[in-house]
Amino acid sequence: MRIDTAAYACRWRGVAPQAKALFALAGVVAAWLARSPGVLGLLALLSMLVTLLGARVALRTYISVLLAPLGFLLLSCLTMLASPGGGWHWMPALLPAVAVTALRSLAVLAALLGLVLTTPMPDLLALLRRLRVPELLLDLMALSYRMLFVLRQAWEEGVTAQSARLGYRGWRHAWRSTGLLAGQMAVQVWQRAAALQMAADARGYQGTLRFLPAAYPQARRQNAYAVLAGTLLLAIAVGDRL
Amino acid sequence: MSPLLELQAVEHVFADGSAGLRNCSVALARGRRHALLGANGAGKTTLLQHLNGLLRPSAGRLLLDGRPFEYDRAGLAELRRRVGLVFQNPDRQLFSAQVEEDVSFGPLNLGLDHATVRARVAAALDAVGMREHAQRPVHHLSFGQKKRVCIAGVLAMEPEVLLLDEPMAGLDAPMQAELAQLLDSLAARGVTVLLSTHDIDFAYGWADDLHLMVAGRCIASGPAPEVAAQAGLLHACGQRLPLALALHAHLVARGVLPRGPAPRSVEAVLDALPVVPIHSQQGNPT
Repeated sequence: MRIDTAAYACRWRGVAPQAKALFALAGVVAAWLARSPGVLGLLALLSMLVTLLGARVALRTYISVLLAPLGFLLLSCLTMLASPGGGWHWMPALLPAVAVTALRSLAVLAALLGLVLTTPMPDLLALLRRLRVPELLLDLMALSYRMLFVLRQAWEEGVTAQSARLGYRGWRHAWRSTGLLAGQMAVQVWQRAAALQMAADARGYQGTLRFLPAAYPQARRQNAYAVLAGTLLLAIAVGDRL
Repeated sequence: MSPLLELQAVEHVFADGSAGLRNCSVALARGRRHALLGANGAGKTTLLQHLNGLLRPSAGRLLLDGRPFEYDRAGLAELRRRVGLVFQNPDRQLFSAQVEEDVSFGPLNLGLDHATVRARVAAALDAVGMREHAQRPVHHLSFGQKKRVCIAGVLAMEPEVLLLDEPMAGLDAPMQAELAQLLDSLAARGVTVLLSTHDIDFAYGWADDLHLMVAGRCIASGPAPEVAAQAGLLHACGQRLPLALALHAHLVARGVLPRGPAPRSVEAVLDALPVVPIHSQQGNPT
């Protein structure tokens, strides 16, 4: 939800998604190529700075989105450093290798967050459509994305209505209310699916969901910038390898 | 001239066996503003869905341009191109994540090229005053805005008949006035408009023709002044006399206003009141 809001609010909302995707791809490949921890750290930092300062994604949002994968990363690094065998003990010898892995993951993560936090889902879908991802898959993604918000709203309205009638007073009531609502949601999902089918039929639905691709008048220039910036990242990584 | 769209003695039975429409006949004259009045559960929504071909009559028939309608693929495509339906609950109609994208859905289904679709989407969003929201996600919009996007989504198909299921429900007064204005401008361009409503005062003030529904049947159809004057029929469909009519009748009975055709709104009745200086009444207590 936070990611979605950030993507719509950021300064690069109007930038062509292919430009942002190109830059993110360059970031990922560069992280793949680079070897030394310093360069990997630099790549991660550059991707983060571009997202925070270039696209003006709020720092608070960025950190809160970053925390979950970061926690996962730390946990796996710790398990790599500690190993069983006659009790747990530290393996300091592995530290450099683990640091490189962790920084590489961080750089890839930063590059991908740069794309995800600045590109709303419909734009990503449009991009995938241009890349010839199967229509059926995209239609499913588009509908799921929309239904996510419809159902979230229905769920929140249900919880509010139940709370107003003391549905969440104490554990027992809370469990009962949640169960009732979950059952009710199943019916709602079914009804809404039928209603959507009807709404689509009413507007001449012929078997495929067709939407107008968004127009990005400055796409060419933005792509050029993205290629330039991406080349810089790749150059740093290749320089590290040589 | 034959009516543009007509239901003749249509029956509709739902899957659970309950009747939606019973021997229902309605005709929509071309280019007029129609209002469909009825209590909850009277079958208004069912009737609208029959007019768009979403439901098929169990008995009776649908006529388009005076000819019986064929429920085949080509027929349905033509019907839905010419007759647009705006649903009551916008969240059940909008399935794209973005405003512009959703509005483009209908025209793209008509097989139009991208340039035409883009122009139509822009025009439709302009008509409902949502042009500056074209790029916004649907889930960030207010209820009233979603409703307007729904209307734009149908307008972009440029239908000859526009059906609206309780369009005023949930809208505030200024937005209702704006919507009425939009519908008037469409009617002025020759679009036939049919809306369902509970609001007899709005229906009487706005519509050219009224249709009253009770328990799945259309019990009266005709020009608004004629239908609205029949208190018995209105009562049968859970309605009262329009305020403007009741007030006018009262003032005529009191001798304040002359007999004659009643104005269509309370404001018009008040405007018709003769100016009487207050002191002339004070000097003459009766």
